[in-house]
Amino acid sequence: MKSLEANAGALTNFEVLNFLRSKGAAKDSTRVLAKVAPSEYKVYDYLVQSAACKQTRENINEFLERCKKYDLAKAEVLNIINIRPSSAVEIYSIVEECEKRFGDAVEELVELVENVLPPPLIELKPEGIDEGKEETANIDGGKDEPATGEQMDGS
Amino acid sequence: MFYLSRIEHTFRVPPSLLSLPIEEAVKGELERLFLDKVIANLGLCVSVYDIKSIEGGFIFPSDGAATYTVVFRLIMFRPFVGEVIAAKLKESNATGLRLSLGFFDDIYIPVHLLPNPSRFKPDPNKRDKGMWEWEYGGEPYVIDGIDEIKFQVHNVSYPPIPIEKPKEAKPFAPMVITGSINDDGLGPISWWVGAEQTDES
Repeated sequence: MKSLEANAGALTNFEVLNFLRSKGAAKDSTRVLAKVAPSEYKVYDYLVQSAACKQTRENINEFLERCKKYDLAKAEVLNIINIRPSSAVEIYSIVEECEKRFGDAVEELVELVENVLPPPLIELKPEGIDEGKEETANIDGGKDEPATGEQMDGS
Repeated sequence: MFYLSRIEHTFRVPPSLLSLPIEEAVKGELERLFLDKVIANLGLCVSVYDIKSIEGGFIFPSDGAATYTVVFRLIMFRPFVGEVIAAKLKESNATGLRLSLGFFDDIYIPVHLLPNPSRFKPDPNKRDKGMWEWEYGGEPYVIDGIDEIKFQVHNVSYPPIPIEKPKEAKPFAPMVITGSINDDGLGPISWWVGAEQTDES
């Protein structure tokens, strides 16, 4: 085995989730039929309950565009998209030397995150399984394109 | 958290797969070889992203299978130092916490990376298990594993495969993440809900 390029681009959680969905991963009983390995399902199960579950390509592109003025590092932007911080205190841990670089602009950034990135599902209740199924089906139908889109270059 | 890695590998495709189209056969073999495995310094392989090229197809003397050289990309789980990740509590004992992502379990928070001052409360019913408590402003904050825990990646290491395994050792982990929750905004998410006002003052 020869590693040609260890870092050929970073992926957001959403992109990985989208990739797994395009392979046929879903949250219902058809999972035994899909060509998805058990280990991939574990990743899917983690991602589908994370902040990535309701994001769309448009959301992320818009966020990337609008956070340019804050001069964040690529890794920080990636981390913000993955975690979707909903308060200033959560940003402090993600952004290095936040106080020095931002001062009061942190609140602005939180607002931007709240406005652009959709909030994650609070909790998938056991009795709400049917609902959840419908939702994932909708998301699947919405963007079936293979996950060969843009990637963030994390190098 | 996830990266693409471009890799070249030469391997044999067994004749039992001859009936399949070549891409499918190669992809199946790649998944069998790499999925859910750790490659040192590249991370844990999540998925085969795409196949760039398939070359060769030689049949070596005295081998009844074709050997191909394939260039492909894998989705790797490889957190970077400083990244914040949400995880679930898996274990809590006197040496610290162990967290899990569902697909990856070897995340450890040692005692010195817990918020200061933290105390360990042993559980009388379970041997060497217990709960950690952070004391802040005279109030105890318990790490009870009910909600998700955010941690910051402190270090990612790939220990070499041990030649001789000592008895009663933990199962070998090819990739170990050391995390820290000793910072603002880290730890169980419930700690920081509504913490805004108190923080500002």
